Amino acid sequence: MAEQMDEQMDEQEIISKVKSCVATALGRDEHEVELESVLSTDLEAESIDYLDITFQLEKSFKITIAKDELFPQKIFQDAKLVQDGVVTPAGLEELRVRMPYANLDEFQSNPRLANIQDLFTVGLLVNYVKAKLAA
Amino acid sequence: MRYVLIDKLLEFRKGDFARAVKCVTRGEPVLDGDRYPAPLVLEALLQTGGTLARISLGPERRTVLGKVTKASFPAFAYAGDVIDLEVELVQSRPDGTMCSGTASVGDTVVGRAEFMIVILPPEMSPPLSPEIDAWRRNLARALGIPVTESDPTESDQ
Repeated sequence: MAEQMDEQMDEQEIISKVKSCVATALGRDEHEVELESVLSTDLEAESIDYLDITFQLEKSFKITIAKDELFPQKIFQDAKLVQDGVVTPAGLEELRVRMPYANLDEFQSNPRLANIQDLFTVGLLVNYVKAKLAA
Repeated sequence: MRYVLIDKLLEFRKGDFARAVKCVTRGEPVLDGDRYPAPLVLEALLQTGGTLARISLGPERRTVLGKVTKASFPAFAYAGDVIDLEVELVQSRPDGTMCSGTASVGDTVVGRAEFMIVILPPEMSPPLSPEIDAWRRNLARALGIPVTESDPTESDQ
């Protein structure tokens, strides 16, 4: 029971710190940052903000995030993985391998590249950090 | 049009810290009366940070300002002042750095800034202008840091 509570507190701490990182990087109040907030549309993150979020997470959690690890971009430039603006089955598999912490269920029902930004929520960052800390 | 706002690099610790000076002369057309514009104080800090980041992390790469996260200008610098520019790399990654800088004249702080410098990937690093490239290469040589020679036929932008 105590162990469960510790785990829960740890998770709450991770959530709180991730929200703080996102709020700092995007110049938002923390109460505006929800787990389901999409970084690009709900919080109006621009491309440079993703690097800032990466910096904030590295500092806050004392982790090292390799380039293109948290926000992979190069895979979307590969013609085998994206065709006519749609992520191919090979692309979906690549996403599963590269982003095991992401829930792709909704995305794979309509895997248009334009929809990929919806994957990047505050909750995804929390899952990423949890996976990173557990590794 | 580009302005180099670093007149002299006084101290350089690769991957860590740089100190430079900007001498404000009365002949500069940017002066507002006697005052040196605060945005150019910021620009001087950014150039010091950009130089530190580029020479430290990738002399052959281009750097651009990502964002200024904090900036304040508690006092003005004036014609005749020597602005001391100190910048440290607070955090570094292969694709960028977070910097913290202070500009001061004597004991008076005239600018403080925290900012992000982005290191562009090679495919997004257009050639530098010949003047800036020569300055960069001379600086790197003076610091004993190897740099690749650029193609003299390359034009700016």
